[in-house]
Amino acid sequence: MTQGNKGADRVQGIAFRTGRILAGLFVLAIWISASATGMLPGPVEVLAYLLSMRLEEVVPQVLKTLYNSITGFSLSFLASMVLGLLSHKLPLIRGFSEALSEIFNSTSALVWSLVLVATLGVLSPLPPILVVAAVTLPHILTATVSALSSADPGLLEAVRSVGARPSDEFFEVILPSSVPLLASASRVGLGTALRISVVAEAFGSSGGVGYMIIRSYNLADASGVLAWSLVLIALVLGLDQLVLKPLERRAKRWLE
Amino acid sequence: MARVMLDVSSIYKSFSEPVLVDISLHLNRGEVLGVVGPNGCGKTTLLRIMAGLESPDRGSVRREGKVGIVFQEDRLLPWKTLWENVALGLKYHGMRGEELARRVREYSSMVGLTDSDLSLHPRKASGGTRRKAALARALVLEPEILLLDEPFTGLDVKARASLREALKWIWDEYGLSTVIVSHQLEELLPLADRVYVLTPKPAKVAEEIDLRGMDLEKRLERVKEALLHILSRAGAD
Repeated sequence: MTQGNKGADRVQGIAFRTGRILAGLFVLAIWISASATGMLPGPVEVLAYLLSMRLEEVVPQVLKTLYNSITGFSLSFLASMVLGLLSHKLPLIRGFSEALSEIFNSTSALVWSLVLVATLGVLSPLPPILVVAAVTLPHILTATVSALSSADPGLLEAVRSVGARPSDEFFEVILPSSVPLLASASRVGLGTALRISVVAEAFGSSGGVGYMIIRSYNLADASGVLAWSLVLIALVLGLDQLVLKPLERRAKRWLE
Repeated sequence: MARVMLDVSSIYKSFSEPVLVDISLHLNRGEVLGVVGPNGCGKTTLLRIMAGLESPDRGSVRREGKVGIVFQEDRLLPWKTLWENVALGLKYHGMRGEELARRVREYSSMVGLTDSDLSLHPRKASGGTRRKAALARALVLEPEILLLDEPFTGLDVKARASLREALKWIWDEYGLSTVIVSHQLEELLPLADRVYVLTPKPAKVAEEIDLRGMDLEKRLERVKEALLHILSRAGAD
């Protein structure tokens, strides 16, 4: 890389980071403006509320939301893998999966939450998990089907030329080739799962960040609503930047 | 009379337009056969038909023994080490353990791969090392017929010389019947016993030249003359 290119890259990098900081300041400015009307507590007030929260109060709710999201996402990932694998070989299952995706994709998280809470009861721990599974399924399933058909035909031919059977082709080429696409889909899917699980938690009484947000709202505790919302944002951003993004980057290097 | 290991008879192949027309050629036991022709004339398609990876629309291919093929682009699995790539075929044929390790070591060292080369993933290996691994992957199954598609393309001078030496050694030791498709005459002609010169697309056999008994200069002169002749005829048409 030339010196000129390095300089240009550095300038672009600084510009990019500045853009990110400006986005944060923009959101803060909107918040401050909104709080000036007296309808919302300001950032200082909410920060004070956050600092007053006890760790033993926050951690179980965060863990509960994480548990709901990860379990729901795992269910949808597992179902997607099974349907994706079968779709790869059977047109009947391909049609079934495609239609199922379309139906699930057109059903909102709110509808799933209401139906599942009404069916399983407000105290049941299952609705948030199942809502996450239902909402993320179409995305993960679509990604799985396209990932499984993204294998390089040249590599498939190469393994066939040394005697690979269809099952070898699948486990040695098709599945490993799909890792980067599945990692990207999982990153988006887990982020979605976290945001969706709080909607379902809000309708039940089994705890979680969503439950705490709606409880604060019912108590007319605006600072509590915003403080728990900030906890959720921190959770989504932290998981994405510290865990999912590095994992996705690693998975993408897989095929190089 | 030498035993014919590969007999291609009156092959016709068309995709949206004819690619190969009435191609007949044969490979004798222990012989190194070159196939040359202008770029894009259908040499690779012909090699794929010889390997059984593609079917001809008309004509037939008779193979006397197992075929191994080395593709132009190496086609190594990027998530496996070179060792694992070389071992693939043996694994698919049910070989495991010490016997597998012995065969991988034997054929890898035959093409000049060291243990440290074999521990690399393809992205960390040089082009020459990757090409040798692709060659070892084909050889490890002990084919009677070896098909090489542009084996020297994309390699630097040192890697080309090293690969050439490895191939010469294999032929001297094992007398493996080989077809090489290449447009790099300087690399191909020192190695080949005979060459078939193909016309521009749709490819037909324009000439068969026996190179035995000719020095390199004469070989180059003879094949270049044949290529110039068919190109000038194609230009005139």
